[in-house]
Amino acid sequence: MDDRSADSDPVTAGESSILDTLGEDVIRIVSPVSLCMVLVVLLVSSLSSTNDLSSSISSLFLSSTTTPTSFSSLNLLLLGSDSTWEEIKSALVTALSFVVVVTLLTFLLVLLFYFRCTNFLRIYMGISSLFVLSFLGGFISLLLISHLKIPIDPFTFAILLFNLSVVGVFAVFMPKFPISMNQGYLVAIGVLTAYWFTMLPEWTTWALLIAMSLYDLAAVLLPIGPLRLLVELAMSRNEEIPALVYEARPVDPQPGDRVRVWRERTDVRIEATENSTNSANVQTVQETRLAVSEEITAPLIEAFPQTGDRHLGTEEEEDGIGLGSSGAIKLGLGDFIFYSVLVGRAAMYDYMTVYACYLAIMAGLGVTLLLLAVYRKALPALPVSIMLGVVFYLLTRVLLEVFVVQCSSNLLMF
Amino acid sequence: MRCRLDSLSLIVCLHLLSIDGDDDKGERSQIGDTMTVAAGVGYVLIALGPALSLFASVIAKKPFLILTLLSSTLFWLISLIILAGAWRAFLPVKSTELWPYSILILTSVGFQEGIRIGFWRLFKKMEDMLNAFADRVSKPRLFLTDKMQLALAGGLGHGLAHAVFFCLSLLTPAFGPATFYVDKCPSIPFFLISAIIALGFVIIHTFSMVIAFNGYTEGKRKDQIFVPFAHLIAALITLINLVPGGCNIGLPLLCIMAGTTLYYSWQLVWRRLTEHQTTRSSD
Repeated sequence: MDDRSADSDPVTAGESSILDTLGEDVIRIVSPVSLCMVLVVLLVSSLSSTNDLSSSISSLFLSSTTTPTSFSSLNLLLLGSDSTWEEIKSALVTALSFVVVVTLLTFLLVLLFYFRCTNFLRIYMGISSLFVLSFLGGFISLLLISHLKIPIDPFTFAILLFNLSVVGVFAVFMPKFPISMNQGYLVAIGVLTAYWFTMLPEWTTWALLIAMSLYDLAAVLLPIGPLRLLVELAMSRNEEIPALVYEARPVDPQPGDRVRVWRERTDVRIEATENSTNSANVQTVQETRLAVSEEITAPLIEAFPQTGDRHLGTEEEEDGIGLGSSGAIKLGLGDFIFYSVLVGRAAMYDYMTVYACYLAIMAGLGVTLLLLAVYRKALPALPVSIMLGVVFYLLTRVLLEVFVVQCSSNLLMF
Repeated sequence: MRCRLDSLSLIVCLHLLSIDGDDDKGERSQIGDTMTVAAGVGYVLIALGPALSLFASVIAKKPFLILTLLSSTLFWLISLIILAGAWRAFLPVKSTELWPYSILILTSVGFQEGIRIGFWRLFKKMEDMLNAFADRVSKPRLFLTDKMQLALAGGLGHGLAHAVFFCLSLLTPAFGPATFYVDKCPSIPFFLISAIIALGFVIIHTFSMVIAFNGYTEGKRKDQIFVPFAHLIAALITLINLVPGGCNIGLPLLCIMAGTTLYYSWQLVWRRLTEHQTTRSSD
């Protein structure tokens, strides 16, 4: 019998069970994703009003003094109609134009990377992150201050905002920064951008999510996809890809593990390791697009310096995609943002959809990590989670809510 | 603000209550704001207090248990969605008779208990995979306490899913200034009743998973039959809430049922552990 073979008691034998440390790297990527989603849900529920038109108008009025207006709220005002078909059409147009712009800019990025203009890219990304932290962060802080009636004077606010944004740029930009600040600021950038995206009208948000997940699927898996080209270029040159990538804090290697270094499309032997879960890697280079005005969209790709605490040793072939001796999972910031956008948009309907979509996204992330462990190449992290999230949102809204409310309003539970 | 009680108007009413709360927030005093948030937080803690302490003391320490918890929550949600899909055509139930609701309860509980067996098969497969993995990294195989912790995490996931979907998701208006009474139970606010019922069911789900897994592993019929029965009886007790004034009887009975499940699981685990201890020391 199974439990007879479980020989010694952990207390007396002094050994630890495998259950103690298994799955730790997955948890280290699940926690920041969950934190980002929780923060976006809190922001959405404390700041949102009842429908999208009024919130976009209020953001429009507020933003006329601070940031340029967004394309979609302007579009909505121009169209002025509330009919569903008009909304769907404008949503599809917006989503399609967004994807087209993203594709063009990614190809531009690949071109620049090919011509080794890395410094230009890094500086540009630094400026973009400064923009996100200062302008978006300031805008959202102003909304929070006016909503929660926090007493603060403009000078203190300006100093705090300036300090926090500059430190944030350094935290994601410089190599020797403490990793918790790096991770914290990456989550903050994700929260701000995701909240901004939830201010779009409803149909546009859903169309955008589905379009971006299809784009992600195509861009990473198709041979001509820009992200795949980028990944191959970076691997062939053994350089890091300049991108905003969240890397989980590496797990300590267990004694007796051999290191897994994998790479695709070369003939180097893949060293199998005993610890199959410890070296999963999701390399999803995601760019985030920030629609700052009607026409101009700025790619938000920041350099991710990551040399600090990985002891490379003999593995000089270790590149931005492969793993060091401590396998850590990397997830692009765009994935954080789009997951949080989905959950934030679900929060605008009801909390039941929030919980359902959260579970769906976690399931999708788990499936992606499993696929990663099987296929061992760069995989898109968006499609599975977003599709599951959308399906669960629809199912909850259509089926579950009526059922649960029917049962609990009669105080019938099981 | 009182609302009439049928399902769709309840949804509208709950949304209106929460919007009301937001509008009033601007003019009300600070003390009034914090009182209502305190009430909402209080309801959440009533429903989830033991679950949170279980989580913090047992599950948060081992990452694999957190993953088990998330997957079992997802599992329960999927089973709930399937049930909702099956019952969608018959809802909303307009009558106030007992029998449609009892059929609802019977089918739901039967389905969920059937799923539990499937869950146990998955658990066995996972146990085999974990043991194979442990052999490969030359670590000891799963201990008895490990398996029980896995069962606990699975059960807690189910209980958490129940509390979240039946209680927490309807709790949003409780953070506003108003409260809500159900017609059939005018003495206790709706939120408090659902919080206490959720508490009872969290305990029942958590520990019946431990009992069920032990029962299926050891092959003891008594344990295997106890779990569906306990679940069914607890769900049928909530049927008493349909009668006007019934919740005053139903709630204490449910808590007694939860206590029974807890006691049974305690006895089972105690016996199992002492047996294991004696067999090991006698080897």
